[in-house]
Amino acid sequence: MSKLKKENKVLDKLKSVFNLSGEVKRKQRIAVKSDSKHVSSILLFLKNQQGFIHLNHISCVDWIEENEFELVYIVWNPKTKLTVLVHTRIARENPVMENIDTIWDQANTYEREFREMFGIEFPGLVAPKEFILEDWDDIPPMRKDFNSQAYALENFATRPGREDAQDVREVIQKRSGEELPDFAKKYSRD
Amino acid sequence: MIREKETTLYIGPQHPGITGNMMIKLKVAGDTVVKAETHVGYLHRAFEKLIENRNWLQSFTLLCRFCVPEPDPMELTFARAVEELEGRKVPERAKYIRTIVSELARIQSFLLWYGGQSGSSGLYTVGQWSVGDRNYILDLFEDLTGARIYHMYMWPGGVRRDLPKGWIDKAYRTMDYLEGRLETYNQLLFDNAIFQKRAQGVGIIPKDKAIEWGVVGAPLRGTGIKHDVRIDEPYEAYDKIDFVVPTFEGGDVWARAMVRREEIKQSIHIVRQALDHLPGGSYYNRIPNPMKWTVPAGEAWVKTESVRGEVGFYVASDGSNKPRRVHLKGAAYTHGVSVLEKILPGENIADVSFILNSLGVCPPEIER
Repeated sequence: MSKLKKENKVLDKLKSVFNLSGEVKRKQRIAVKSDSKHVSSILLFLKNQQGFIHLNHISCVDWIEENEFELVYIVWNPKTKLTVLVHTRIARENPVMENIDTIWDQANTYEREFREMFGIEFPGLVAPKEFILEDWDDIPPMRKDFNSQAYALENFATRPGREDAQDVREVIQKRSGEELPDFAKKYSRD
Repeated sequence: MIREKETTLYIGPQHPGITGNMMIKLKVAGDTVVKAETHVGYLHRAFEKLIENRNWLQSFTLLCRFCVPEPDPMELTFARAVEELEGRKVPERAKYIRTIVSELARIQSFLLWYGGQSGSSGLYTVGQWSVGDRNYILDLFEDLTGARIYHMYMWPGGVRRDLPKGWIDKAYRTMDYLEGRLETYNQLLFDNAIFQKRAQGVGIIPKDKAIEWGVVGAPLRGTGIKHDVRIDEPYEAYDKIDFVVPTFEGGDVWARAMVRREEIKQSIHIVRQALDHLPGGSYYNRIPNPMKWTVPAGEAWVKTESVRGEVGFYVASDGSNKPRRVHLKGAAYTHGVSVLEKILPGENIADVSFILNSLGVCPPEIER
């Protein structure tokens, strides 16, 4: 652990100021977990007082079994080359998360995307316009309960001759009368 | 007296400034841009959603298609993320081969950029020649992987095949040829008064704001700030290779062009060094049956340096045979939206596609 002195110093500092749990995952990677209410304060602290001025990324994961969304804010310090991942979880029903585009402008792009793709609201979001999807009225498509195959079959026309979503291999077999090799028959995406 | 009225001008979704489809809605007064707004949504192929329904290895066929000019950093970054989740070791030979392939990918992308950047300033010859020269790199890829653009070659545990017989010699000769061509490109493009006048003082990214705005890669180094993932968080064989990270002051299109001009030389230098010191031994730490292969639960955030800037993957696994979440962060996500909207006001309409090219905006990377 002595090798990870810089990483532990940042983690200890965060733990002393905020009520959070965390660990040093490896060299240059620190991961912390916090309540969603404190995320913007943690990020502001990291940016203004710890030198993590670069917002690398924001990611969102749907943990449908636990009925939660996980948001991961990834920030980077150009001087120490350390990266902190700030995790938080919010409820899947009527999800609301604090807007951070006042801390980093570019967070606006992520938040607009998550608003469409996961249905998460960010109150106070600057210019909450459509980002990728146009006139979408189904459930947000990046949610795990959205079935993209069923949506495609329902909404898009099938090319003539492909109406019943035939298996290409089976069609070729029927037309040619040739037996499919075993490995091709067993193939399954599941 | 002529009163200047603001007019709305739509550039795109198809235009020569970028590889892909994206629209920029401009408010212009005369020839000057007053406000710029990026509109995407023309290329969304739901790759990230589709990957969640495929197993870990099948994901590679989709991953490399995130960005056409640079598919290799995508597969390398994802492979490294999976290796981090699994704790899988990569043989030393594979690390060197990955370094060589990554740098070859950078060189072919630089050559494609030469074409785009020169084409948007009216110098069409450069593009014809550089795309022709790029084919020699694609030949190397074809010999090595069987494919010219999308290789699916660097996968968890190493690389798919070892170097074929005679490939090393061909790679050396290709590097010698390309190095000889660089002087021609200097004369055609960088020493050309038209290009210099068009590029200098245009599309300026302020040095004091660059990191905070999320600028990465050559555009960041073009403001004089020296950051490169290959140095900051060395991966593969980069820590054993001697190379320089070029920087240039100014933050304009010219500075970004100067950085790339030096970087292509460095890439050739890296390929030669890696070929010189290529270790023997295994090239692949075999994964189990891919259809039954599960990756331990956890998360990984891994970054790689591409020509357009850093490519990052946030990967979450729930311990099953499919990724729970694969989320790409490409340089274009910030360069093509928030940074572009900040630097375009005040510029000339004719320079919009020129600036877009210098930032390396790749719309499929924004929409995924």
